[in-house]
Amino acid sequence: MKGLLTTTLLFLTCFSYGQVTISGQVADKSGEPLLGVNVYLKGTYDGATTDINGEFSFESYEVDSLILVASYIGFHTSELPIESKSQKLNFILKEEISHLNAVVITAGSFNASDESKREVLKPLDIVTTAGATADIPGALNTLPGTQTVGETGRLFVRGGDGRETKTFIDGMLVHNEYSPSAPNTPGRSRFSPFMFKGTSFSTGGYSAEYGQALSSALVLNSKDVAENDRTDISLMSVGADISTTQSFENSSLAGKVQYTNLTPYFALVSQNLRWNKAPQEYNGNFAYRWKTSKTGMLKVFTNVSQSSMDLYESDIRNPEIDLPVVVSNDYLHFNTSYRELLDDKWGVRTGISFTRSNDFASLDQSSIDQNLSGFHTKVTMDYQHSDRLALVAGAEMIGRSLNQTLNDGESFYQEFDERIGASFVETEMFASSALAFKAGVRVEHNNLNDNIALDPRLSAAYKTGEHSQVSVAYGQFRQAPATQITLSDKASLHEKATHYIANYQWLSEGMSFRVEVYEKKYDQLAKYTNIYDPGTFQFTGGGYARGLDLFWRDSKTVKNLDYWVSYSYLNTEREYKDFPGSYTPSFASNHNFSVVTKKFFDKLKSQVGVTYSFASPRSYNDLNSEGFLNGRTPAYHDLSFNISYLYSSQVIIHAMVNNVLGINNIFGYEYASTPNENGVYASRPITPAAKRFIFLGVFITLSKNKGINQLPNL
Amino acid sequence: MKRNLILLLGVLCATFAMANGQFEKAMGKNIPAMFSADNQETLQGVINQLNRIGDAEGDRWEPYYYAAFGYVRMSGMIESADEKDKYLDLALETVAKGEAVKPNDSELETMRGYINMIKLAVDPASRGMMYSGMVFTSFQKAIKLNPDNPRAHYLMGRMQYGTAQFMGTGTEEACGSLFKAKVLYTQVDQPANPFAPTWGKESTDESIKEICEGE
Repeated sequence: MKGLLTTTLLFLTCFSYGQVTISGQVADKSGEPLLGVNVYLKGTYDGATTDINGEFSFESYEVDSLILVASYIGFHTSELPIESKSQKLNFILKEEISHLNAVVITAGSFNASDESKREVLKPLDIVTTAGATADIPGALNTLPGTQTVGETGRLFVRGGDGRETKTFIDGMLVHNEYSPSAPNTPGRSRFSPFMFKGTSFSTGGYSAEYGQALSSALVLNSKDVAENDRTDISLMSVGADISTTQSFENSSLAGKVQYTNLTPYFALVSQNLRWNKAPQEYNGNFAYRWKTSKTGMLKVFTNVSQSSMDLYESDIRNPEIDLPVVVSNDYLHFNTSYRELLDDKWGVRTGISFTRSNDFASLDQSSIDQNLSGFHTKVTMDYQHSDRLALVAGAEMIGRSLNQTLNDGESFYQEFDERIGASFVETEMFASSALAFKAGVRVEHNNLNDNIALDPRLSAAYKTGEHSQVSVAYGQFRQAPATQITLSDKASLHEKATHYIANYQWLSEGMSFRVEVYEKKYDQLAKYTNIYDPGTFQFTGGGYARGLDLFWRDSKTVKNLDYWVSYSYLNTEREYKDFPGSYTPSFASNHNFSVVTKKFFDKLKSQVGVTYSFASPRSYNDLNSEGFLNGRTPAYHDLSFNISYLYSSQVIIHAMVNNVLGINNIFGYEYASTPNENGVYASRPITPAAKRFIFLGVFITLSKNKGINQLPNL
Repeated sequence: MKRNLILLLGVLCATFAMANGQFEKAMGKNIPAMFSADNQETLQGVINQLNRIGDAEGDRWEPYYYAAFGYVRMSGMIESADEKDKYLDLALETVAKGEAVKPNDSELETMRGYINMIKLAVDPASRGMMYSGMVFTSFQKAIKLNPDNPRAHYLMGRMQYGTAQFMGTGTEEACGSLFKAKVLYTQVDQPANPFAPTWGKESTDESIKEICEGE
C-alpha cells in the first residue's frame, strides 16, 4: 500500500515536477521591444513567440534544459541560463551586421549585381543600354564620372586618361583589354558582358587590393558553375558566333568561337575610310568552372584572338595621296583563380593571370611592332573576426615585359622588364550597422626605379536614414607612366593621384539618387625636359581634377519604363608631356550628360532602348593660332536606339543604330607635322569612320531548358 | 529495489513527453496552423514552433519544410519587395537546413524551386532570366528524384504557364504538366510518412480550370 502510494505520488510529481512558467521580455539595445522573437528552451519544443510588447510566457515540463534561447532575424542569438524558476528573464539582443542591413561604403563606386537590391545597376543594364553595343565600357560610359571620348570608347574617369582605368577579372589584372579598332572608332572590350555576374566600377577611392590604376578600377566577377547545358548561335551583320556550355555535377565547361568580318557591312554602308581589307577578327573563349567543395571554387578562363585590318589614309597635306595603314593584333589572356573558406573565419583567394599581346601597326613606310607579356599572381587571405570586424591581407606580383621595334627606314629597338611586388592590408569595421570604416594600406616596390611606395586608403559610410547614407573616401594611387615613357626612361617615377570623395546616396525601391563631389590631385606626371624632345623626362608635372557627379534612376513611376540620368561637371588642368604650363587636356570636357531609357512593350514582346549623350566642347591644339590647346571642338551629341524582339522563347532579334540623327561629331583636329609653303599647317577633323553604326543580329539558343535564351546577352 | 524504481520513474518523467508521440502531436497541430494562419504574428509563432521542433529533433526534415513554406506565406502578406526578399531568403535558408538532414529530397527541391519562383515574381524584369533557369532546374531535378511527386509537376506547370504567357505561346506544355499532377494526386497513395507534404490538389484543379479549360 505504501509502495503504491509512493508510486502514485511519484507519477503525480512527474506531471507537476518542473512545470514552470517561463516569462520575460526581449528588446534591442535601445530598449525597443522586439516582436516575433523565438524564445525557447534549448533542445526542446517548448517556447513562445514574443508579442508586440516584446513579452513572452510559456509553461514547460522540461527538466533537462536550463538554457533559454532567444533567436530573431537580424540579431545575434542570445542564451540565458535559468537560475530561478520564478524569475523574469529579459533579453537584450545585439543587432547582427549583415549585407541586408549594413551600411555600404559607396563613395566612388557603382556596383551591378543581381543579388543585392541596394545596387543602382543590374548586370542586365550593361547589356541592354542603347548605344553601348553590349560593351561593358560602352554602358559604363553612361554613368557620371566618365567623359565621352568618342574616338576611343575607353573609360576616361574624372579628368583621367583612358589608360588610368584598369580592368580586373576575378581579382586578376588584364592588360590590353580593348580590341583594336578602326581609326577614330570606339574600341570594344575583349570581354563579353555575359561572362560576368557582377561588375563594380569605381571612379575613385577604391580598395588597397587594387593597384597600378590612377583613376579607376573596373572589377569584374565571372559567373560560377553553369547549371544548364546550352548552345547559342548568333548571326550578326558583322559576323557570327557559336558557343556551347556543358554542365556537370559540380563543374561546367564553356567554349565560344566568334568570327567578325566587316566587309559585307562596309559594302552596304558607306564609310569615310577607304578599306583594302575591312576589320576581321577570330576570337575564341574557353571557361572551366569547378566547385571544388561546398565553399571552394576554381575558375579557369582563356581568351585568344587574332585581328587585322588594312586601309588607306589620305596624307593631310596632299589629300589625293593615299597612305596604306595596316593594323594587326594577336592576343592571349589566361586567367585562373581559386577561392576557398578554410574555416568559419579564414578564407583564401589566389590567382594567376597571363597576357600576351603582339601588336603591329604601319603607316606608309613606318611601322611599330610591339610585344607585351604580362603576368599577375596574387594571394589574399580574408579573416572575418566577427560580423563587426574583418581583415584582408594579400601579396601580389605584377610583371610586364615589353619590347618595341620602330621602323622608319632604320629600325630602333627598345624594351623594359617591369616587376612590381606589392602587398596590402585592409580592415573593415562596423561600429554599428549604420556606421562603417575601412582603412587600408598598400606597399609597392618597382624593380625599374627601385622605389618603395606606401599608399594609404581610407573610407567611411554612415546611414542617415532608412533610405539614405553619406560616405567619404580618401586614397593615394599610383601607376607606371605611359609605355612610351617607361621605354625611354626605365627609371621613371610612377605617377601619383590623391582622391578625396564625398557621396550622398538615396535609395528606395525602384528609385535611386546619388550625388558625389571629388577633388583629385596629380603628382609626378612625366614632363618632357625639352618640349621639342620627347626622349628625356622629368617627373615634376602635376594637375588637379575636381567636380560633381549626379545620378538619378527611376524604374517605378511608369510601368515597364526604366531610365537613368547622369550629369558630370569636371574642372581639370594638368601639366605633363609637352604642356608648356597647366592646361585642360584634350580628352576632358566640362559637362557630360546622358539619359538612358529602356521600355518593355508586353504586346510587342520587345524591349526598346533610347540613349542620348552629350559632352561639351573639348580642347585641341590649333597649330595655326597662337597659344596652346586653344581650339574648341563643337559639342558632342549622340542619340542611339536599340530594340530586342523576343520572336520565341529561344530566338531573339536585335537591332541597333548609333547616332540616329546623323550628327557630325568632331573629336578634334589633326595637323600636318610641317607647315605648307604659306606657313599654314594643313589640318583635318577627327571624325567617326561613319556617321552611324547599324547592327542587326539573330540570337538562337538551343537548350532543353526552355526558360533560357540569349536576352541576358543582348 | 525501491531506489531503482524511483530512478526509473525519474528517467520516465524526463522522457515522458517524447515517448508520448510529442513529434506527431506537435506536427499534427502546427502543419494545419501554418496553412491557416491569417496574420503575420500568428504565422511567425507557428514558424518559430516548427523551427524549434526541427532543431530539437535534429533528424527530421519535415519541420523545416513547413517552416520554409511558412516564410513563403509570410512573404505573401507583405508589400515591400525588400521585406519579401528577407523572408524568401529565410525560406531558402530553412530549406537548406532540411537538406542537411535529408539531401536530394524531391519535396525539398520542389520547395526550393517554388521559393525562387516567388523571388522571380518580386522583380521579374531584372530577375526573370536568371531565376527562370534556376526554377526550371529545381523542378526538373525534383521530378528526376521522384517522378511521382505531384507538387513538382503542378509547380512546373505554373512556371511553364508563366513563361508561355510572357512569350505569347500556347499552354499545351503547361497543361500537360498540370494534368500529370492531377493524375498523380488522385492515383498515388498517401505517403507512409503522415507528415510528408500532401498539399496542392485543389490548386492544381483550379489551375486546370483557369488555364486548360478556360476557353
